[in-house]
Amino acid sequence: MEALLAAFAAALAPQVLLVVVAASVYGLFIGAVPGLTATMGTALLVPLTFFLEPLAAIGAIVAASTMAIFAGDIPGALLRIPGTPASAAYTDDAYRLTQKGQAGLALGTNLVCSVLGGLIGVAILVLAAPRIARFSLGFSSYEYFWLALLGLSCATAVSRGSAVKGGLSICAGLLISMIGIDIVTGTPRFTFGDTPLIAGVSIIPVLIGMFAITEILRKCATPAPASRPEALRLGALFAGVGGTVWRYKGGVARSSVLGAFIGALPGAGADIAAWISYAVAKRFSREPEKFGTGHAEGIVSASSSNNAALSGAYVPALVFGIPGDTITAILIGVLMMKGVTPGPMVFVMDQGLVGAIFAIFVVANLLLLPLGTVAILLSQRLLAVPANVLFPIILLFCAIGAFATNNAYFDIWIMLAVGLLAFALEENGYPLAPMILALILGPQIEESFMQSIIKADGHLLAFFSRPIAGTLGVLTLAIWLAVALLALRSGRRAAGAARRAG
Amino acid sequence: MRWNDAVLGAIFVIIALVVALDARGFPDLPGQAYGSGTLPTLVAAVMFCLGAAQIVTGVRSRAPAIRLDAWMRAPGAAWRMAAVPLFVAAFVLLLRPLGFPLVTPPLLFALLLVMTVRPATALVVAVAATAGIWFVFARLLGVPLPLGLLTEIVY
Repeated sequence: MEALLAAFAAALAPQVLLVVVAASVYGLFIGAVPGLTATMGTALLVPLTFFLEPLAAIGAIVAASTMAIFAGDIPGALLRIPGTPASAAYTDDAYRLTQKGQAGLALGTNLVCSVLGGLIGVAILVLAAPRIARFSLGFSSYEYFWLALLGLSCATAVSRGSAVKGGLSICAGLLISMIGIDIVTGTPRFTFGDTPLIAGVSIIPVLIGMFAITEILRKCATPAPASRPEALRLGALFAGVGGTVWRYKGGVARSSVLGAFIGALPGAGADIAAWISYAVAKRFSREPEKFGTGHAEGIVSASSSNNAALSGAYVPALVFGIPGDTITAILIGVLMMKGVTPGPMVFVMDQGLVGAIFAIFVVANLLLLPLGTVAILLSQRLLAVPANVLFPIILLFCAIGAFATNNAYFDIWIMLAVGLLAFALEENGYPLAPMILALILGPQIEESFMQSIIKADGHLLAFFSRPIAGTLGVLTLAIWLAVALLALRSGRRAAGAARRAG
Repeated sequence: MRWNDAVLGAIFVIIALVVALDARGFPDLPGQAYGSGTLPTLVAAVMFCLGAAQIVTGVRSRAPAIRLDAWMRAPGAAWRMAAVPLFVAAFVLLLRPLGFPLVTPPLLFALLLVMTVRPATALVVAVAATAGIWFVFARLLGVPLPLGLLTEIVY
């Protein structure tokens, strides 16, 4: 009880609360403007969080991403343009409801389910993370090596599109993470002589380039015209929402748990959780034929699931330092810069910090209800921001943000180079999530590999000698085998189809 | 802009070869067959195989070497997109000699004009955004944004 009070006292300290509220408003804006994704919003926050205390920095990222994932539903329901990819699964249903004159029901349901899903996700995080942390205290470098590798393999297995492209994306991320002085032997690697690359590639410009510059390039090419949906009144907003959510309460519970689990899988985030929960809800529904026609059941399931996924992603991130999605990948990057390395020891040594982080999750999800309501009421104004004015300003902000962490002009070049590279890769069907995961996990993989190999005196079989390490190792190899077989099969099928067509 | 899979596959294969060659010069741990070259070589080997697989896929698909998506062929799209790296490059190169307050408004104004914003709006936005970012980064966060030519006037 005392720990609980202390946790909330830390989370509600004026400075932290102020940051959380400001980040929430920012997150609602980011989510509601089509084209600004939650991941991009988080990447843009990073240069600012660099100047905050660890708790406030985490609070800012948690609050902004929670709000953004909900706010992405607003343009989805009103304009049929999902504000973030996580809202895409149920955009059609929500927009059909708006066309029937039930925009209030659609958005009210989105909001209430986002809050419920978020809170269930937090509950799972609070229950699961400390237990897994306690269990993993005995892990040695062998287990960490396999865990990190398993995380990367998961990221390829769940990423949409070609597994080969996912694998190449991972390789590119790993190679970028190896640039600079090698921590084990002190050798400079891939630095092209005596350049600023000796210090390694700084993570912030890479994040901004990868997630913001790519979107800016795309949106600057074809700026979407600003639109003016009809204004909503408070009274119409929550009419019928309670009944709808209660009718599908089973769906809320199932999708939230499912969402939290999918969020915890490295590489799979809120968008994949929403798609899967929508599909599962349709499979179990008594009226599957109504899905896609303005039916609330799919909205209920998917919008609780994407918010639950956000919290779920923090389980592996806080316990092992393995990001569950792109947002936690950014968070881990920020924490490492601030000298906090996430891992099970944090749960033992710094229970106060862990408790306060949990409390911030609860606060952010509760704040979503009032702030989200205001955002819906202001949606007409939010959606009227013209993209051709907004994106040049964001570009300037990116350049300064990349410069600000190290006061290095070189970092702005890194941001630009990574942005162009990531854009070219994404346009060609290469997923970026595995690349950022590899970039974050690269040093951990190499360090645990070198430690293990020294301990084992060069005998590779030692990697399988401990029971948990052995299990994780076999699991990782099994995933590789499965992915390779699937890729071979789909390649053969595509070749067969091409031959028939040719 | 979609390249044939073989094009990017070939680039990955070349990068893998360069990395593997470079990594041969890295020292091993004393008394071990492993060292700072081990993991780069492993990653390069995987990259080589996957890149080669992409070359096979690309050649089999018989897709054209490069294909522009519909949105990129829209009038002015390529030019507006090129304006983004041009803006960043000009910004970095001019930032130190001229200083943030002198470089930012004209560059941002030009970018906004390229983005078909009306000149009056663009002017106001360019000046306001410069002031806003100066306030947040230079004043609140204490980032030493360069003053360039203005250094002597201010101090």
